[in-house]
Parts: sequence; C-alpha cells; structure tokens
Amino acid sequence: MSGKALSIPKELVLEMYKKMQRIRKFEETAATFFAEGKIPGFVHLYIGEEAVAVGACANLRDDDFITSTHRGHGHIVAKGGNLKLMMAELFGKESGYCKGKGGSMHIADAELGILGANGIVGAGHNIAVGAGWSAQYRGTDQVSVCFFGDASTNISSFHEAMNLASVWKLPVIFVCENNLYGISVSQERHQAIKDISLRAAGYGIPSLTADGNDVFAVYEHVNTAIERARAGGGPSLLEFKTYRHRGHFEGDTAAYRPEEEVEEWLKKDPIPRLERYMLDKKIADEKRISEICSEVEAEIREALDFASGSQVPEIGTSVLNIYSDLVEEARVR
Amino acid sequence: MAEFIVMPKLGLTMTEGTISNWRKAEGEHIEQGDILFDVETDKLSNEIEAKVSGMLRKILVQEGEIEVFRPVAIIGSQDEDISALLSGEGGNVQGGTDEEVLPEATEPADTPVISDEAGKVDGRIIASPLAKKTAGHLAVDLALVQGTGPGGRIIEADVQQAADTKGDKKTKASPTAVKTAAALGVDISGIQKDGRIMKTDVQSYYANAHPAEVANGTADEARRVPMNAMRKVIARRMLESQRISPTVTYNMKVDTTNLALLREQLKDIYKVTYTDLLVKIAAKVLIEYPLLNCSIENDELVLRNYVNIGVAVGLDEGLVVPVVRHADRKGLREVSEEVQELVAKARNNGLAPSDMSGGTFTITNLGMYGMESFTPIINQPEVAILGVNAIIETPVAANGQVTVKPLMNLSLTADHRAVDGAVAAAFMQKLKKYIEKPALLLL
Amino acid sequence: MRKMTYGEGIREALRIKMQEDPNVVLLGEDVGPYGGTFGVTKGLWEEFGEQRVRDTPISEGIIVGASVGAAATGLRPVPELMFMDFLTFGMDGLVNQAAKMRYMFGGKISVPMVLRLPTGGGMNAGAQHSQSLEAWVTHIPGLKVVFPSNAEDAWGLMLTAIEDDNPVCYLESKALYSRKSEVPDHVAPIPFGLAKVKREGSDVSIITYGKQVHDALTAAEQLAQEGIEAEVIDLRSLYPLDKEAIRATVAKTHRAVVVTEEVKRGGYGGELSAMISEELFDELDAPVVRIGALNTPVPYATNLEAAVLPNVADIVNGIKGMGLKK
Repeated sequence: MSGKALSIPKELVLEMYKKMQRIRKFEETAATFFAEGKIPGFVHLYIGEEAVAVGACANLRDDDFITSTHRGHGHIVAKGGNLKLMMAELFGKESGYCKGKGGSMHIADAELGILGANGIVGAGHNIAVGAGWSAQYRGTDQVSVCFFGDASTNISSFHEAMNLASVWKLPVIFVCENNLYGISVSQERHQAIKDISLRAAGYGIPSLTADGNDVFAVYEHVNTAIERARAGGGPSLLEFKTYRHRGHFEGDTAAYRPEEEVEEWLKKDPIPRLERYMLDKKIADEKRISEICSEVEAEIREALDFASGSQVPEIGTSVLNIYSDLVEEARVR
Repeated sequence: MAEFIVMPKLGLTMTEGTISNWRKAEGEHIEQGDILFDVETDKLSNEIEAKVSGMLRKILVQEGEIEVFRPVAIIGSQDEDISALLSGEGGNVQGGTDEEVLPEATEPADTPVISDEAGKVDGRIIASPLAKKTAGHLAVDLALVQGTGPGGRIIEADVQQAADTKGDKKTKASPTAVKTAAALGVDISGIQKDGRIMKTDVQSYYANAHPAEVANGTADEARRVPMNAMRKVIARRMLESQRISPTVTYNMKVDTTNLALLREQLKDIYKVTYTDLLVKIAAKVLIEYPLLNCSIENDELVLRNYVNIGVAVGLDEGLVVPVVRHADRKGLREVSEEVQELVAKARNNGLAPSDMSGGTFTITNLGMYGMESFTPIINQPEVAILGVNAIIETPVAANGQVTVKPLMNLSLTADHRAVDGAVAAAFMQKLKKYIEKPALLLL
Repeated sequence: MRKMTYGEGIREALRIKMQEDPNVVLLGEDVGPYGGTFGVTKGLWEEFGEQRVRDTPISEGIIVGASVGAAATGLRPVPELMFMDFLTFGMDGLVNQAAKMRYMFGGKISVPMVLRLPTGGGMNAGAQHSQSLEAWVTHIPGLKVVFPSNAEDAWGLMLTAIEDDNPVCYLESKALYSRKSEVPDHVAPIPFGLAKVKREGSDVSIITYGKQVHDALTAAEQLAQEGIEAEVIDLRSLYPLDKEAIRATVAKTHRAVVVTEEVKRGGYGGELSAMISEELFDELDAPVVRIGALNTPVPYATNLEAAVLPNVADIVNGIKGMGLKK
C-alpha cells in the first residue's frame, strides 16, 4: 500500500473504509433484489472498483463536480449520496432521487455536485468539461472530476473533451477506471495501447497510471491533480487499473474472462487489502472493523425499509419534469 | 299542387328500376306512407311509399324498366289540371320533390373531374370531412350531391349549393340558425318555413316546444367554449393552491383617514394610489414578519430578507400578477411608477415571464368594485395574500361619541402551515398601525 | 422604428442578455474576433471579451456537450454550430443529455442553453451545408424549438430563449441573415408557442415558419390576383406549438397548406399535417397539402438546387390544386 508520501489521518482512513463497505454492501443488496425481481432494468455493479471512487472523492468538497457512468453507484456513494434516495430510485419509487424516472443509470444530486450517472458511454467527458469551464468562468476554485472506463477512451468525446480542457486550462481531472473490459471486449482487443495515460501526451496533459485497488494511491494522485487544477494548472488524466468482480451488468456471467485472471484480481480486492493495512498499522482492530460493517449494514437496512415503504410514482407524473414550465399531454386510459 | 312521382334511386349504383306491380289504381285516394308500387332492381325488390297524400291521377309507367328520377305517375287533388305535367312527362324533372334535383355541375376549367359519376368511387361517396359535417347539419343527402373538388370530391360548397337549390325548404337555414339549433337540441328539419330558417325561427320553435323554460323571455343556452391558455393556467394554479394550502382568512377594518390625507398632501407633486401605498406599507411590515413573506419547500421554510410584491391585475381574458421587486427597498414614488408600468404592460399584453416571477407576497384590490370582504386564494408558492376592500364611510363609536370614519376592510389569507393565527393577527395589527399612521413610514 | 437585418436582430438580443446577465456566454467556431461565419456575433468579442465570447476548436461534440455541463452548473451558454448539418456530431449532448437531464433526474437539474443552428439552403452550399433538420429536434421531448422569420422575431425570440430554463434549439435561416425588416425601438421577449398571423385571408391557410414565411406571403399576393385569399401563419415557435392559432385559421378557411423547406419525408411538416388531420378533421374541406423539398440531398448546381427546394410557384400551384371554388 502506498500512503507514505501523505500522512493520511486515521479518521480519514476509517471514513474511506466505511465508504468502500457502504458501496460494497449497497450493491450486494441491489444484486440480491435484482435477482428476486424487485429491482428492474439494468444494474451495473461497481464491486471491486470501490477504491477508485472513494480515493478520488475523499479529496472533494460538496461543491466540486463529478460526472459518472452507467456503473455509477460507487461514485454517488463516495461523493456523499443518500442511500435511502438511491435505493428508492432503484426500486422505482416516488421518493427516489429522480422520483422513479431515472433508475440505476441516472442518479444525480445537484447539491452534491453529482451531475449524473450516465447511460451513454462517453457522455460524461463533455459534461465534466462544461462544469469545469463553468467553475473557471465564475472564478471559483471548484474542480470537476470525470469518471470513465477504458472503453470510453475510444469515443470522440474523450478526445474532444481532453483537447478543450487542455487548451482552455480547465480544472478537470479525468479519472479513468481501467477495468480491462469494454463489456465483453478486452482492452487488448479494443485498443492497441496498454496504458491509457499515454493518450494525454497528445493533448499536453500530465498523466499517470497507477494501481486502482490501492485507495491511498488513488487518493494521493487525485490530490495532486486537484491541487494543480484549483491553482489554475489545468487538467490531468489519471488512469487507475482495477477490475469489476461481477459481469458488465447483473445477468452477465462474464464467461469471456479467463478464470485465472478473475482469481488473481479477486486476491487484489481493495477492501480486504485496506482491512489488512488498518490492522497492520493499528488504525483499527477486528472489533472496530466489525462495528463499522454493522453500522453500514444498519444504513442499508434503513435504506431498504425506506425504499420498500415508499409509494410507486403516480402515473400522472410521467408527463412532468420534461420542461420547467410545460406539461405534456397525459394518456387517458 | 299536382306533382310527379318518380322512380327513386334506391342504391348508389342504381341507374334504372323495373316496376313490377302497382298497388294502387288511378283515381284512388292515397295517404302519405301508403305503398304505391313495387320496384325490382338487379339486387332486390322494394316497396315504394307515397311521399304525399292525394289522388293518384295518372300512372305513366305501368310496368317495366325506367331510369331513375323519371316520372312514373302523377299525384294531385281530384279536380286539378294536370295537362302541363302530362305534356312534359318525358323530360327530366326540374324542381320538384326532394330527391329529384341534381345541382348543376359547375366544373371549374382547371379542376378536371376524373370520375364520370362525380364524388363516388366504387359506390363510396368521396366528400371532404367538412362537407360531410355540413351535410349532416343541413340534412343534405350526399348521394345526391355532385362533387366539384379534385377527383370529383364533394366539398362544402357543393353541399351548400345542393341545400340552397333543393326543393326541401325545411333544411335551408342560416349558419347561425344551425348553430342555435344544435345548441338547443332542435331538429332543424322539423321547422316549417317557406324561406330560409333564421336563428329567431329556431328560437321560437324551441319556445313553442318548451314554454316553461322560456317563460322569462330567453331560452336557456349553454355554450362550450374552450378555455384560453391564460384561463387554463389560472384554473390549474388556483386548484393547486387550494389543494396545497390549508388557509385561514383574517379580516380587519382600518381607518384610512390619514392615508387619504397623505394622498391629498402628495397630490400636487405626485399622485399615488391606495394600492401603491399598500404595497409600500406591506413591504415594510413584511420585513418584520418574514413568515408571511416565506415559502415552503420540502419541509423547510424559505425566509427572505427582501420583499417582492405581486399586484393582481384583472384583464378581460383573465388575471395576471406582475411583481414589484424589492418593494421594501424602494421609495413610494419608485414603487408607484413600477406598479403603473407593470399594469400598463399587463394591459398591453407586454409582460415578460420575468415580470411575473419571483413574487413573495401578493396584494389584490377589489375595492373599486365596492367589495367589503372576500377570501383571496394564495398565489403559490407564496404563503399569504392581502385582499383590499372598498373604503366605506362608517359610523364609529369612540369615547362615547359616534363619528363617521372612512374604514377599509383588509382580508388576509394565510397558509396555516407557515403562519399561525397569532402571527397573522400581529401582522395585521402592524399593518393597521402603519395605515392609520403612515408617518411611521418615515422612521 | 428602424430597419435591421435578421442577423443584427439576433446579435442585439445576445448583446442585451449579455449585458443583463453575466452568466450568458457565447461559444462556437469562429464566434470570437472573427465574428461568426455569418457575422452574427460581430463586435461581441470586442465588447464582452474573451471569457464571454469563446472561440472553440472545430469540435461540435464538445461545443454542445460542454454547454450542457456549463448550463447544469449555473451558466446560460449560447453555443453556435456553424451549420445545423454539423449537429450530427453534437447530437448526444443535445438529445441524450440536455433534453433528458431534467426528466431523468426528477426535475432537479436544469439545462438552460440556447443552441444556435444556422439552417437551410439556397446558397449553393451543397448537401452537407444546406439541410433543414428541424424534424430531428422537434421530435425530442425536452427540447424547445424556435425559428424566426424576421429581425424583430429573431430578437424577441432570442430574448425569451435565453431566459428559458430549458434547452432551446434556435434555428436561423442562413438565407435571411442579411434581409432587413422594420424593428421597433423596444423589442419585448416573444413568448414561445405564439404564432403570428402575417396575412389574413378567408380561403386557405398557409402554415409555415422561417424563410418560407416570405415565400408564402409572395404566393398569397399572387393568389389574391386570382381572387384566392390566403391566410399566412408564421409559427415562429415549432415547439411549443401554437395549436390554437392553427385551429383558428383552419376553422376559418377549412383548407391548410403546410410549407417547410425540409425534405418532405418524415418532416415536421408531416407532424403539423397530422395534427390538423387528427384534431381538425371535421373542419377540413380538402386534404392537408404539404409543400417541402424533394426527398433528395440538396444539390449544388443552381438550377438543381432550385428544382429541389420549394418555391413560391410550388405554393401557388399546391393551393390551386386544392379545388377552391372561385
């Protein structure tokens, strides 16, 4: 584990651990309820990649922006998202983040600067750049963190976004979660480079590749990039190698991945890894760790109770919120 | 008057019919509805009824085939001279009973009629939707109308022409008469009149049929008029306000003697209205009572350090509420000029959306209509609205003496979610204090 | 009153809103010192500076996409795409992001941006610089779409567009940029969804917008010589649509002609035509007639382009073919 360069306070370590557990347990619960048919639609789980979202967002203020992806639960939880509202949204309830109109792929929280999970691969790049531009224009020191996967670096938006962020020196941190697959297509089959950080050179952007399962490494590198951005030094591209434990979405058995590869990565699971570190460094003992887990489980239960106790949206709301001031015609049945 | 009985057209494609049997003999008296003769077509056999009563004077075609609309007999009174009809019997009938007449085909040179049987394709009548609707109103049989539209389509003008030229006078009616008939539920064909049926004919027909309902002169009339856009917005917002807000309306009379004096003193320099004064005073008091100037969002009260007062302006087509921004920070004159400008814009339909948004409190004045009390509806998302009533000279007892004072009733509706009775009452008291001693505004 | 070009009308509205609200910013290809390919933003860079009038790389995806991000975080960007044809590269930002965000996020995020889209042919610009693609954007719930036909409307609609809290596609007719028309001293914002009767008539209604308003008026004058009085409706705002105005005119004349410059197949004219047929069936004395471009790309050669795009004679002939009795 890295973490030597920065002396990360013990409380922050515990907080990061709790957030990683929160993502893990939230998603394990979501997976169970998806399997039982209580959560419909597409559910893309982040399990295995928690260190990236948590390490990155630990550097952010509430008024900083993030853009997320279809695999968004982790980013939203890490940025401080409300578990109850998230769970209710997954259940398609009126009390959910988006009143049941968004679902797993479309959760946003403007007050926390979460500009949305996004069902379109590559769409977040442009939005993050726009938010960074907005911060620069308004003269604040807010930054904009753009989370995206390896496969989205082949889309034009990645290149347009990197170019504009660079030429306008925008406070944008491009955080690539390289989980080695674009759905079923492995990185070596979708691009001819191994390290996506290489792509930054073409835009004159500083970049690096690091271990995405090491929460401290993520924290440190993002910290440096954010400091640079806040000071007007422009964007960075940080590539973190990581791995999703589950399929692309629930229901995908991920048979396209070699067993040995999966086993190897499971050994690198960021959560046990952080636990070992905390025990080793006496940041927490077994009892404290199990207390944290119980606290998180209680939060998840509360979120579940909230979601299952909430009403489904009224049908009439389907025609609301399309515009600020117009209501579309409803269907009379 | 004697007239022809003709071979009727019994189907869209029928061009001729065969008389197989007469049921009546010449000289026999016939009642309307009696069966006269049997007709066979290539598909079926039909009994033909008499359309009018009278004596069957002459059978022109005993048996056999004959083209449609050709005369087959003459009906009339016993002694009538029918020689004129007899001499013309071979020709096409011009002007007679209602099925006989085809309008003259008027084909514009640049509109070729493709089908030789205009308006009809494979037996289906081709008519525009409007022509069909009009035919329904005017009781015109489209099968008998010659279409002059593209491809021989029957258009509305064709129907009008058919209605105008056909002998059936019953269905000649002015458009207004048709509308009136529809509104009153009158079957226009039931009205007997030689000339064109006018609206008054329909009304008197209805009056005869429904004497009780029109005892007071005019018939009940209910029209359905679609709400205009503004009306819809008002309807929706008022309903929503009533649904969201538990309201209480508080009434209090205030003495406007000093307010009138103030106006009088300012008159030569600048004319202010009571509304202007009340906007200014309310703004001043609202700063002290932020609960009446707040709104409710998700279990939170949004309290403000500024006051934007909406002034309700009635228009012919509805109601708009332009907003005087930061009324608390503006002088009386500035407020007054802004109110004037907004009202003028409202009347000229020139209000921008931004002129009508952001209000934190509303004042609605019905005083000019002599209103003494009413319960205004809150303009959401505000929580209170002040209704202003007429100033009325009222005898008031004070210190054992009765004097007459100009009193004005104020009707405050407040949302009980945010504003409790005591708060509303305190606000009203303060308002009263300022109105009765407007010099306080200077402090 | 004064005379002003269509392009100047747009510019004046931009200037006023930029003066009023520091959050209004312009961006696009060559909108800065160059003043825009069609000169619409001329002088604004000098007046408001580099930060408010930003030249972008030739990069339509990010022009639209960054505007979405900026709009969602407090700015009111007015991006310009040099030609509406280039919207193909900006489609995701507009359709999947701007139009959807408010809805997907349960009403919690607003995207107040005005996407300027120079539209239409008639200048030998060929197949990739001449299209009228209003059907693409009117089809998308969450977008508002306006298309002025003259300087005053260009000004008034732009004021409203910038004040609007929703993404607005502001279509501009390239052929009209230098056309002058009377503009009052004070131009008020023109509410969306409010059509304008440009000419009254009793026999047939021409329902149109943008450049075709002028063709329709010319056609109406020609028809008047033959005793046919056409009413000309300038929709101005395609969505929200002033259905009341359409109802009123069709109930008056009982004949509707929809004139658009777009390719007829799958066009917005079809939507207008369908709306009239569905909602005003019993008012119609003739089928709705659509006049539009042929179902071809826009060709280059002058005579070919003229053959493909609709013109005044097409409108006149279309109306004459409706079988008016005169």
